[in-house]
Amino acid sequence: MNQSTNQLVEHFFRHESAKLIAVLTRAFGLRRIDLIEDMVQVAMMEAMNSWKLNGIPPNPSAWIHLAAKNRILDSLRREKTFAKAMALSGQTLASQELVIDQWLEDEHIADSLLRMMFVCCHPLNDRQTQIALTLKTLCGFGLSEVARALLLPIETVKKRIQRAKKSLAGAKVSLELPDDEQLEQRLDVVHDVLYLMFNEGYSTSRGADPIRSDICEEAARLCHLLCQNPCSSPATKALLALMLFHASRFEARTDDLGSVILLEDQCRSDWDHQLIGSAQGWLAQSKCGQPTTYHLEATIAMLHCIAPCIKKTDWSGISALYGRLLELHNSPMYELNQAIAIGESGATHEALTRLMQLKDHPKLEGYFLLDCAIARIHLLEDDTMKAVDSYLMARSKTAAVHEHELIDKKIRKLTEITQDDRTQSH
Amino acid sequence: MPKYMFVYRGCENCHEPEEMQKFMQLWMDWIQVGEEAGWLIDKGDGLEPDGAIVNPDLSITDGPFAESKELVGGYSMVEAANIAAAIELAKGSPIAVSGGTVEVRALANVEMANE
Repeated sequence: MNQSTNQLVEHFFRHESAKLIAVLTRAFGLRRIDLIEDMVQVAMMEAMNSWKLNGIPPNPSAWIHLAAKNRILDSLRREKTFAKAMALSGQTLASQELVIDQWLEDEHIADSLLRMMFVCCHPLNDRQTQIALTLKTLCGFGLSEVARALLLPIETVKKRIQRAKKSLAGAKVSLELPDDEQLEQRLDVVHDVLYLMFNEGYSTSRGADPIRSDICEEAARLCHLLCQNPCSSPATKALLALMLFHASRFEARTDDLGSVILLEDQCRSDWDHQLIGSAQGWLAQSKCGQPTTYHLEATIAMLHCIAPCIKKTDWSGISALYGRLLELHNSPMYELNQAIAIGESGATHEALTRLMQLKDHPKLEGYFLLDCAIARIHLLEDDTMKAVDSYLMARSKTAAVHEHELIDKKIRKLTEITQDDRTQSH
Repeated sequence: MPKYMFVYRGCENCHEPEEMQKFMQLWMDWIQVGEEAGWLIDKGDGLEPDGAIVNPDLSITDGPFAESKELVGGYSMVEAANIAAAIELAKGSPIAVSGGTVEVRALANVEMANE
């Protein structure tokens, strides 16, 4: 009993700070977002100092909301322009307070978060700034956490976020949801930001910092929030399905030491089957007449997730889906993955021809997974020598230690097998 | 058993929500362990950063008085067999994780000495 009353849900402070910033910014405007963030931090400090001695109060959210609200109202009372504006608009702090209280109620919080989501993903800023702003404002990440998440120096992140806030406030961006006319376009940007944010966390080339799984979790949480609002589209649901399919394999992709395990070597019973089930549910709900890239990518991810093993995967289905993706968006990554699918389905010769052609693609130059894919096809052809050569080529193209480990393991396995063969034949 | 005061200074590394939460949890766990084991006789309190100093000439100086590193942030009271044991207890306090220090001081016990 004592244990549970002394434990907060995971990421409580992060999420409470995001909620408070969203609601208070909606109430007092983007121009005051810095002040609001400071006051929310002070409220968090107060909570920390009081709770560590006295234990967590029965309703920690309410406690922290009240502390933050009091702090911001205190500092606004001292602000002359604010007093003037209030007088002119005929409002009082008391009426403002009632509004805030209402917005802070559970059933209204999502609305404020959603408005903030559209602000963070405003086309005024570039993609990476949008991601940084989303992590900072909507996920409650600290500056140093955003820097760690995006592998940028903390000063760079700080400057970008400051500049972004300034331009948003300067352009008088409102905290209203986009109108019908703009909604589709603005929603596309939000999808793209959430998709990239998720990938940022999912990419294994970025090392095994636990913050990576936090980013994925946050992207999925925000996407889920968006799905529950009528302004979302079938693409939102498909995007959520895609994230959940990928997330089901999150733990199985690395070993205990943090080195990468490729799909073909992953232990499929380690995949999170509850997440796979939930993803399938969202994908089913996302059906619409015009499938987006999210729909197609999610379907591919599903075919992987429901296959009993690598051999029994529906490779021709996957290849066809990549074909449709290529019609929507010409990306060398889609071509690479389609070639792999073709090889796995048995047409190794055609796969190799395609992969060799891709070697000349400027965007894949120096991409070690291309050589890993070539090695894999050689293996399917039982050509161990060529496979080892390709793995060595892949090794020369990456500098990341855990990627070296991955390739070294592959090579060791192959050379051991050939040595075993030799000893047997002697 | 001798009593010791733990004086906490500085708390540099906890400005981000996630860190605050982790840090608070560490403190709560530490306090709970100390109270259950009995050596933490008073969990003490934190101190607000501002205040005032009354000088010898009775003039008043406003805080803050020191760099945040040197600022006393809180205190607790423990009971231990000797200073070495008290230091061991102090080592377990979460203040180090947050980049702060803890000063361990024995109470002089003036009243008892006079009895």
